Amino acid sequence: MSRETKAVAIARRPGLSLDSWAVLLAFLAALLVRAGIFRHIPW
Amino acid sequence: MAEAIAVPQAKPIPSISQFLRLIPGIALLAAVGYAGKLLEQNVGKYAKAHHWTFPNIEYVLWAILLGLLISNTVGVPEIFRAGVATYEFWLKAGIVLLGSRFLLGDVLKLGGVSLALVAVEIAVAIAFMTFLGRAFGLRPKLTSLLAVGSAVCGVSAIIATQGAIEADEEDSSFAIAAILALGALSLFTFPLIGHALHLSDHAYGLWAGLAVDNTAEATAAGALYSDAAGKLAVLAKTTRNAMIGFVVLAYAIYWASRGEAKGIGNKAAFLWQKFPKFVLGFLLISVLATYSFFNKEQLTAVANLSRWAFLLTFAGVGLRTNFKEMRKQGLRPFAVGAIGEVVIAVVTLGLVAGAGKLFGF
Repeated sequence: MSRETKAVAIARRPGLSLDSWAVLLAFLAALLVRAGIFRHIPW
Repeated sequence: MAEAIAVPQAKPIPSISQFLRLIPGIALLAAVGYAGKLLEQNVGKYAKAHHWTFPNIEYVLWAILLGLLISNTVGVPEIFRAGVATYEFWLKAGIVLLGSRFLLGDVLKLGGVSLALVAVEIAVAIAFMTFLGRAFGLRPKLTSLLAVGSAVCGVSAIIATQGAIEADEEDSSFAIAAILALGALSLFTFPLIGHALHLSDHAYGLWAGLAVDNTAEATAAGALYSDAAGKLAVLAKTTRNAMIGFVVLAYAIYWASRGEAKGIGNKAAFLWQKFPKFVLGFLLISVLATYSFFNKEQLTAVANLSRWAFLLTFAGVGLRTNFKEMRKQGLRPFAVGAIGEVVIAVVTLGLVAGAGKLFGF
């Protein structure tokens, strides 16, 4: 498989983008805080 | 060039084995970032205890410096590279969580001001970079990539445009190296200029968000000045990022009209595909915070999660910057980028000063 063909195959593979995964992770973390599972996050 | 441009833009879900490959690099990001935090806490105390005069260096700068030191001396071993490249992922998650520190009214007001300034900045940056590229005899598509990179959002915009205008990988590599090298320089020059000009946190944050190209560097340049400036830099930069689809679409149509790229069929779908989704996440968290979805203690916890995500990002900024690799990319794209960036920085500083007088900051 040429590099171009591989790139097209990867681009067409179903799934969320990294961008969307970052949003989902952030919301999951915020919801865990809201639900009281993460009570205190130190800094 | 692998170290300098290893920036994932939009990849599908990794398998378990791919996920496991990320762990060493993520652990390195955490170790470098945490070491930066420990240095911030302890170096000042140590200097004070020994009656030394030592500037208060924030964890942001320590994390970047430690990362730079590793990357430019021993280098980042192969086993860590995939995980280190996730710093953009942590940046986006951090920006979404940072939305909790903005009330929606502030986002709309500051975002509106930012949007007006961003529109002028994009027009000036594209026009001036195109002029410079032609004056220096750069290849037209390389000039387009540099113009988009400096006008909108650095590496992400270059990668998005490369596919849309069918530019060579070599052109993309040149443009990314120039933007990254200039971004690294801005980390050290912007805070110095800001302090020399006695800019307020508000004015400096807006300026950094408008003039520093890559989102990670804009966030770091803001945070290096102050926490409040960091918040404003992220807001202004996020507004700029939201424009990526429109600018890339305009370039795609231009190059297609010249028969040097494929036409765009469904323009709305193209815009949605290119739109950075973390901007929507940021707005949604801000709406939730505004309507008291979180109590005060929870808001602090969410804001601290954002800080931890940014800590990994700042470590990644240092670790992925390899000056030796960047030098190999040639002087002309860097010269065009550098001259353009100086002009854009001066113009945006003037815009911010004007907006400051109008809106009182």
